[in-house]
Amino acid sequence: MAAQDTMTEGLSARSGGLSLRQRRTLLHALIFFTLIGLWEAGARLGLLDPLFYPRPTSILNSFYLIYIKNGNVWFNLYATMSLVIAGWIGGSILGVGLGALVGFNAVVRRFLKPYVIVLEATPRIAVAPLLIAALGFGASSKIAIIVLVCFFAPFINTLSGVVNVNEDKLELFRSLRATKMQVLRKLVLPDAIPVIMAGERLALTAALSGALVAEFIQRDQGMGALILVYTRNLNMASSFACIFTLTILGFLIFKGMEWVDHHIAYWKNEAGMKRIGDRRRRQFGAQVGE
Amino acid sequence: MTMLKSMMLSTALAVTAIPTVGFAQDLTTVNMINPLPRSTVFYPLVVAEALGYFEEEGVEVNLLPSDTSIPYVAFVQNGQADLAMLDATETVNAMLAGANINTVFEVMQNAPESVAVLEGGDYTSMSDLVGTTVGLVSDRDRAFLQAAMSAAGHSIDDVSTVVLGESGPTLASAISTGNVSALVGSINDWAALAAADITLTLVTPEELLASPANTFAMNAEMIEPKREAMEGFFRAWAKGIYVSIDNPDVVAEMLREAVPEEWENEAVGMSLLTGVMTMNISTTPRLGDLQADVWTAIQPRMLTSGAIESMVDVTTFLNDTYIGAANDFDRAEVDAEVSAWRAENM
Repeated sequence: MAAQDTMTEGLSARSGGLSLRQRRTLLHALIFFTLIGLWEAGARLGLLDPLFYPRPTSILNSFYLIYIKNGNVWFNLYATMSLVIAGWIGGSILGVGLGALVGFNAVVRRFLKPYVIVLEATPRIAVAPLLIAALGFGASSKIAIIVLVCFFAPFINTLSGVVNVNEDKLELFRSLRATKMQVLRKLVLPDAIPVIMAGERLALTAALSGALVAEFIQRDQGMGALILVYTRNLNMASSFACIFTLTILGFLIFKGMEWVDHHIAYWKNEAGMKRIGDRRRRQFGAQVGE
Repeated sequence: MTMLKSMMLSTALAVTAIPTVGFAQDLTTVNMINPLPRSTVFYPLVVAEALGYFEEEGVEVNLLPSDTSIPYVAFVQNGQADLAMLDATETVNAMLAGANINTVFEVMQNAPESVAVLEGGDYTSMSDLVGTTVGLVSDRDRAFLQAAMSAAGHSIDDVSTVVLGESGPTLASAISTGNVSALVGSINDWAALAAADITLTLVTPEELLASPANTFAMNAEMIEPKREAMEGFFRAWAKGIYVSIDNPDVVAEMLREAVPEEWENEAVGMSLLTGVMTMNISTTPRLGDLQADVWTAIQPRMLTSGAIESMVDVTTFLNDTYIGAANDFDRAEVDAEVSAWRAENM
């Protein structure tokens, strides 16, 4: 024990008293800023063409321009995110709903699944102009494009979650004469939810790409339209600022969905199980105490 | 009342309030399809909006900027758009396809399209391009190249073409590395390149310069039903053109406000505005007037180049019914309004 303490103290002393996590963060920051520094130096020395790789400091300045000085990014960001949310909700309802329907009913599965797969194989960008012609200009056709882009992941994951229920557990439920609703609530859903959530995570990030595709075609507003204006005018710094904004958004969306997943499908991770277990123990203790 | 109920009630109230707010001024929406969102390229729209001319005419403009593979004229035919911005080739081809459209206003009377080569490069004329690869900003520019090659005594088959898209870096790279011998696009594509020190020389045949480039076309059956809104729309647009003749600095300031993304680099913004002003300011005595003689003169060239399959009698689609009303405004009054705007904003 004493030897272990001495070793830990030695490690701390060597790393200036930083924890492993802090050291890792520091290392990440060091790598990141070195890369940015190299990029800046390369651009300043003329090794990188500013038409393609604007200086990081120029991009930083563009962040200031588009967010603070001109403020023209906010409305476009709002327009894009509204589409993303609406399209994702639509795609999720359609995907999970159809996935569950197809999963629970073998006959429906036999007839519907091929069409869904054909739809997935069809390039959405090619269909987009037809959707605009059919649904008209504006939000409805853009949302339809996003729904098309993001519905497949929830569909296939829901289908897979529902179909691949643990056979042994299902047998056990049947032998205990569980009702269909009990099988659904206590077995199918708990088993399928982590897979469905993974599909939702993919769908939300796909929705962002779908929104950009829609805005590249219908250029009235949104981040896609803004990026097009900037690249057309060779304003690559602002274009990069918009692209980085979307990258950060995409990352935050993904992490946010991971957090939601972590809390909804708590039984799939130890920390979640412990948290819920502790809460239930407290509730049970309070009930017994009463 | 629970929080959920109050939220539902407030949402319902908000939703029912929207139409009241939206239609308070009783504006007629004019849906207009064109390739660009609000832009310096079509500055009369921005000027007319800044000075409140559309509102004054009881009109609000709903832009439908898009890059779709479906011809714009289809959206006029199905009623999704009231006006479509078409070039001469698109108009004649639409007529040949049986579309019941009328050209009612010439937005740009000088072709904004051009064939550009790198200044000081190996190519200096249209004939030099034979056997090379020419870059097109969009597939719509192919017809223009076809006409330009034909005017220079060659055929479109004498060159290879590649659609580069409108991304500035792609165009810059393609022309400066020599991957393409020339670029075919419009003035707004060259403005950004010029600001990035990529100087281009135009080799467009002279006879193609005087060509109605962007024109407003509409469904012929809607000319009368939409007369009031359209007259108002075109009067506001014409006022926007008129303002720019003597007040380019005011126009620039309005554009800085309305489309800051095009003016972050002042040099690009000014270069673009200077270039498009010559296109947007009408050369005819009446602003936006239709030039039957020019439309007649350009068709044989379009026919020879293969851009159209046969010629169309211009009287079947040129309709100047709105031009008189569009030009019926008091110039002195507009001047006074511009002065007031200048005093307040500059």
